[in-house]
Amino acid sequence: MKLLIVDDSNIIRSKIARALGAYGLEVVGLAANGKDAVARAAATRPDVVTMDLTMPEMDGIECIREIRKLRPKVQILVVSALADKATAIQALKEGAQGFLCKPFTEQELTEAIGELIEEAQNG
Amino acid sequence: MFGIDLGKYRTLVVSIFLFLLFDLGVLVLNFVISSQIAHDAEAVNLAGRQRMLSQRTAKAALQIEKQAASDTPDRKLPAELANAAEIFDRTLRAFMQGGETVSGSGSPLALAPLDDAEAQAILQRAAAVWTPYRQAMQAALAPGANADAVAALVQRAEAANLELLGLMNDLTTRMESIAASKAKNLRMVQVGGITLATINFVIILVHFIGHLRRADRDLEHARKQTDDILKTTQEGLFLLDPDYRIGSQHSRALGGMLGSEKPGGASLIDLLRPAVSQKTLDTAREYIDLLLKHDVKERLVASLNPLDRVEINLSSAPGDTSQRYLKFAFNRVTENKRVTHLLVTANDITKRVELERDLKESEERSASQMSMLVELLRVDPAAMQEFLSGAGSALEHMNSLLKDQTEGREAHSTRINGIYRVAHRLKGDAAALGLTSLAANVHGLESLLTELRERATLTGENFLPVTVRVKSLFADLESIQNVVARVAQMRSTVLVEAPRPAVDADAQALAFVQQWRAFAHQIAQRRHKQVELSYGGLDLAELPAVQRETILSVVNQFIRNAIVHGIETPDERRLRGKPVAGRLAVYVMRNEEGGLALSFRDDGQGISVEGIRQAALKSGRLAPERAHTATDRELIGLIFEPGLSTQGSADEDAGRGAGLDAVKEMVVGQGGRIRIGTTRGEYCHFRVALPAPAEQPDVAAAQPANQEIQT
Repeated sequence: MKLLIVDDSNIIRSKIARALGAYGLEVVGLAANGKDAVARAAATRPDVVTMDLTMPEMDGIECIREIRKLRPKVQILVVSALADKATAIQALKEGAQGFLCKPFTEQELTEAIGELIEEAQNG
Repeated sequence: MFGIDLGKYRTLVVSIFLFLLFDLGVLVLNFVISSQIAHDAEAVNLAGRQRMLSQRTAKAALQIEKQAASDTPDRKLPAELANAAEIFDRTLRAFMQGGETVSGSGSPLALAPLDDAEAQAILQRAAAVWTPYRQAMQAALAPGANADAVAALVQRAEAANLELLGLMNDLTTRMESIAASKAKNLRMVQVGGITLATINFVIILVHFIGHLRRADRDLEHARKQTDDILKTTQEGLFLLDPDYRIGSQHSRALGGMLGSEKPGGASLIDLLRPAVSQKTLDTAREYIDLLLKHDVKERLVASLNPLDRVEINLSSAPGDTSQRYLKFAFNRVTENKRVTHLLVTANDITKRVELERDLKESEERSASQMSMLVELLRVDPAAMQEFLSGAGSALEHMNSLLKDQTEGREAHSTRINGIYRVAHRLKGDAAALGLTSLAANVHGLESLLTELRERATLTGENFLPVTVRVKSLFADLESIQNVVARVAQMRSTVLVEAPRPAVDADAQALAFVQQWRAFAHQIAQRRHKQVELSYGGLDLAELPAVQRETILSVVNQFIRNAIVHGIETPDERRLRGKPVAGRLAVYVMRNEEGGLALSFRDDGQGISVEGIRQAALKSGRLAPERAHTATDRELIGLIFEPGLSTQGSADEDAGRGAGLDAVKEMVVGQGGRIRIGTTRGEYCHFRVALPAPAEQPDVAAAQPANQEIQT
């Protein structure tokens, strides 16, 4: 199961990579902005993506749209601070399957990813 | 059945299948037997024809004989006889062995041999009669046959005619009997089949009526359970369709929650419109769409639910509104893996919200009290006492101004200004003492008063928030007083636990101790204070005169200093949780070097560093910039400097700044040293070390005021 982590915070990227690497996922890419994320998604063909919403260059919603075009079956987990529920809902409508609010614990992260992986494996 | 799961319809399908099977069986048998009957009827007809043919052959034979004598014989008769004989013969053989004959209409007809023994016996007898008869016919009809042959035929015909007729008659009767028997069997089969089908039908009917009644009963039971659940649950339960409409089946509690008598069929969005902002409403619509129409994980989007806390104002009567908090939770309802509805659960979380609010307030209060405690610990107890007393009066004054009911712009203006002045002073005092939380609260009062000043019209009701704020200030003040008392109590406890030199009961009776005690009481009386003095250690009478005089003199000065500057009035001490009478503890012993160690400790308010700073500034001992940078240690050292007094005015006990400087002079003069320990609000402790009398003064060691500052 290949994982792409998209977040403009280096700390969050490392935290997710560490937790989900230990969980058994193969981290195939880390991206700090939407543009880079789309390029990496095309190159690494991930099964699961964790996606921040507020990022430079290309925001999360547009990034989800682009990645979904490249990988229609990819499972996307939005990982963002809950400043604006409407934006998060918009992101989910664009094709993400789940939402995890920052700050999160390692357990919350692995549980959410576990649920998405189950979907990816069944699908 | 056939690999198809029929579920609850299995019995029905099996029963219908059996019903059709019975019907089909009856139909097939009917068909088979009917065709056999038709066949038998044909055979009966042929048997009857045989009867007729036997007569026709006899008749033709007789006619041929009669016409043989005539001149014009009928040419048709021999052919007719031959034809009749041929048909009879073919039919007889066909009956016996199977074969083809001709039907009544002349068409060829295949016959199976008759399988009835009785009929075959009849046929055998008929054949035995027929064969010679047939031969006689062939002889008579042969070309060139003579009259004898015809006579022989007639003779044979007469002999066989009746017997053949009888046999063919028997055959017909027998075959009719066989046909009748088959018809009877057919009827029986029909009756049996129809009976079975009817029984099957009745079984189906009984079974299914029972089944339907049970199903109805179960359905009714389930419906009642659902009704009971919907009636009694405290939650608002309902199904929401993609048009945001509430389903007709919903819990009774829902109506009360939403303030709608009939929420069924209404739009949830419309019902919530008055309670929530347009943005929340839009987000709610988006969230519902997300769950209904998009491939998301229900559990992983629950945190985005915008209706997890909705504040609703319900009015039960005009002017009587209650504020409730509702939490809506959404769960998908799927049919064939397609989301058709959302099951919505509405919970009244008012109590939880209130509890959270109370908890938050309590935490804030506790934090505020903690910060107040920290603030209070920094404040000089005497200053605090003065402030509390002043603040109490200020608040009482504000209260009295608020109680004045005089209406009119001028009266209101006077009231506002009066309260404002008091508040402003109170705020300044609180801020000066570092009581920032109280100062902030008073500032809030000032803001309220400023608002009132700017109002065009004023009534007594407008002062309500001011009254509420003043009440809260009273509460703040009370909290401060409680905290001050607790702090004092804690300090007192610490003091009690502090180690003290052992006090010898005999020592109390020593003359110099009595003298100190009388001196102390004298000063205390003038100062309206109370003190107790205790002594432990050496009898001073044993000491060399120089040392004894020094000790007596130093202790006298310490007693005066402690009562004037250290020991608080009985009221103050009570407030701080200290014993009403101040304690002076004196202890004198020999030290290891053979010198003397004097300990003098009082449990008064300690040394006020700030007071010394002000006095040093006032007296010009320290320049203003130096006064502000001087450390506590340096400032406390100044109490041994001549001419420095913190006492505002000089009186007989203190105020001229001459006292401790004399102590220093005496001690240093003998080569001794002084240490000071003090904690503001708790104690002041002087420790004096005097060298043995024979020793020369050690200048280097005679540095004054080597203080330990314990704060």
